[in-house]
Amino acid sequence: MFRARSTDEYPARLRWPRLGQDVAIVIWPSFLVASVATMICFAFIDPVLIGNDDYPPPAFASRMTGYAVGFFFFWLVASLSSLLTLYLVRTAHPEPTDTDATTTEDQVRRPQ
Amino acid sequence: MTAPVVETDGGLYAARQKIYPREIAGRFQSMRTIAVWVLLGIYYLLPWFRWSGRQAVLFDLPARKFHIFALTLWPQDFYFLTWLLVIASLSLFFFTALAGRLFCGYACPQTVWSETYLWMERLVEGSRSQQMKLAKAPWTAGKVLRKTAKQFLWIGFGLWTGFTFVGYFTPISELAGKVLHFSTGPWETFWVLFYGGATYVNAGFMREQVCKYMCPYARFQSAMFDKDTLIIMYDDTRGEPRGARKKGSDRQAKGLGDCVDCTVCVQVCPTGIDIRQGLQYECIACAACIDACDEVMDKVNYPRGLVRYDTQNGLEGKPRHVIRPRTIVYATLLLALSAGLVYTITHRNVVGVDVLRDRNALYRERPDGSIENVYNVKILNKDSDAHEFRITGTGLPGLIVDYVGPTVWVGPGEVQGVPVRIRVAEDSLEGGADIEVAIQATDRPELRAGGKARFIAPSD
Repeated sequence: MFRARSTDEYPARLRWPRLGQDVAIVIWPSFLVASVATMICFAFIDPVLIGNDDYPPPAFASRMTGYAVGFFFFWLVASLSSLLTLYLVRTAHPEPTDTDATTTEDQVRRPQ
Repeated sequence: MTAPVVETDGGLYAARQKIYPREIAGRFQSMRTIAVWVLLGIYYLLPWFRWSGRQAVLFDLPARKFHIFALTLWPQDFYFLTWLLVIASLSLFFFTALAGRLFCGYACPQTVWSETYLWMERLVEGSRSQQMKLAKAPWTAGKVLRKTAKQFLWIGFGLWTGFTFVGYFTPISELAGKVLHFSTGPWETFWVLFYGGATYVNAGFMREQVCKYMCPYARFQSAMFDKDTLIIMYDDTRGEPRGARKKGSDRQAKGLGDCVDCTVCVQVCPTGIDIRQGLQYECIACAACIDACDEVMDKVNYPRGLVRYDTQNGLEGKPRHVIRPRTIVYATLLLALSAGLVYTITHRNVVGVDVLRDRNALYRERPDGSIENVYNVKILNKDSDAHEFRITGTGLPGLIVDYVGPTVWVGPGEVQGVPVRIRVAEDSLEGGADIEVAIQATDRPELRAGGKARFIAPSD
């Protein structure tokens, strides 16, 4: 009824060019993760109190600047992670297909 | 034969191919239109509502307070948000188990905004065939005018969306005034353009590709499916073998099924798939193919429902089950969590206290022989009314609490810091001790909170 298809199986007319896909796969999930990370981080930390203990001036002039810098920092870090993951997935050797599977272990791992 | 549904387009990415969904009217499309108006209506109007002198829904980030009608949430209430997200994902699971990708078809922001951008495109460029013709046509003055008009609408709507988004975080009426005088702050300007731009690119250009390449839900939603999940299906036993025929001809004599192979279901599909190949994960369950097929079936006098909402069991002629272990478990969890959230919010402690030691001196020996410690007691009033608070201390015999009193006034949704001196006769001490400082509202004794602190004394 429902079959997950790899992107290479799409009809050519519906396929996105690789570059566009790669950019989206890197920046979109990291955007989601950065949004969540920003919310959690600044629920506990008030940006105007960072670096303000004994050595003024504070690290951030206003809370809004602190939130924005925090968000973009998280987005950048998460993007780097997404980029590495994508690179490893894209450069991996292709997994053997079902027809290649000769050992029983392979068949056990890939239940139908 | 599949009609050509796409045209190359020099859009965002070099080889991008654009889908021109054919416009269609019908039961499900009316429901989707209503959903678009209701959801976008809420989104664009909500920040303009007022509630007791302030914006009704305001996520006041500079002040670190979230106002939602009568409710004010503080950073300490963060777990409510987490709780709410858990409820949201459980609802998604529940509705997916019941009726497939209802969220995608009717409520997902990507679908809803893509729909409005499609409407604007149709308003300016006309029907599907007119749009495809225009895309192929040379760049005449008329084409430039139409394309410019479309971009004007798209960009304008995107900017309004970005403006509204920022209006949830900064008072929207002030923001509107600043926009009119071109005096918005740097971050306000940035976020309006950022979210406006994201809307423009996502709804104008990327559309179904977001669902196909970027959406994680599209990939795992089938895990919630079972044979009783309502999904959009083509009844192939009834439809096949498909084929064109003359109107009024006997299909049984020609050995044909009910599908006249008009390909209208393919032409209306916003993701460019053919539902007759079975359920595919590109399908966002918008039901445009159901409306399209029903219209065709009416024309050729066949019964409706060749493409319809049905379950796997229903299609196989077996009994359908709405109530089944999966839906019962999801529904029970959902009810329990929602009831718990409502109870916790209505019964949460709306006052809090923070006791900080004064940093300048550890302790002071007073002429009468007692030892004094100084604290900064921060009283937090999350209630929507002001209260008078009394401060008391426990933990050491003969402990005296001295502050500007007898009561401290704290306004609604405010924090008040109070310098508090605590004195203890020296002979009742040895080194130091843990004490507790408590606050209590005078008008409502049930509003009270306590905080621990260290009392320091000379160790001789």
